[in-house]
Amino acid sequence: MEGGGETPVVLSGRLDATQAVAAQAYLDRLQGVVTLDCSDLQYLSSAGLGVFLKTHKRLLGAGGRLRLTAVNRHLQDIFSYSGFDQILEIEPGR
Amino acid sequence: MSESASFARRIDVLAEIFAFTTAAFERQGVPGALRADVDFVLEELFTNIVKYSRGKAPVAIEIAAIADGVEVTLTEPEADRFDVTQAPPVDISLPAVQRRPGGLGLHLIPRLVDSVQYGYSEGERCSRVVFRKTSAAPSPGAAGRDGGERC
Repeated sequence: MEGGGETPVVLSGRLDATQAVAAQAYLDRLQGVVTLDCSDLQYLSSAGLGVFLKTHKRLLGAGGRLRLTAVNRHLQDIFSYSGFDQILEIEPGR
Repeated sequence: MSESASFARRIDVLAEIFAFTTAAFERQGVPGALRADVDFVLEELFTNIVKYSRGKAPVAIEIAAIADGVEVTLTEPEADRFDVTQAPPVDISLPAVQRRPGGLGLHLIPRLVDSVQYGYSEGERCSRVVFRKTSAAPSPGAAGRDGGERC
């Protein structure tokens, strides 16, 4: 995970229950409109959804938000079936 | 052909489970495109066991190729009855500020696979979840309780 501020945060690999704590700790440091580049994020579980939700709610409370770009098909399905596509700004990948 | 492995009840074992599914898919010629959804279901079921079950015995996972896909069986010994196909519904229409992450995993399982079935053996105190994922067009999966009563 790298980036932040004006630079998109690049997520890579798998955001599962073993990675959620570290991901949350990193995202907790960011403010404003935070863009997550998901082009290299291959896998997401409900633990990852929890990280995104907690981060988005915190940012909303301070006038910011979370947005995701380059989201693959697996992630799109997860976001769609969980209703997260209605609460997060999501840009599909190619 | 099928293959199985047993896993200790620890969250950090997830990496071993994912390595097992990767290798089993390759050995059995299961389409790799199905693996993310299979891993998702296994992670949700396994982490649920780690968080809430009182048993100590390892959890077994069996993977068997079927036409255009895979059938996966997760067996939990020393289990209390908990039918994952009957989990409370989650309101996915709520705005972000009213959302809670809990329950989403079990809500998503039947939506990501073709079918999921739960069985429980009172005598053996053993639960078993069987799910199938194929390359067929995605649609909300069928859920039921005929996953068998023997472990």
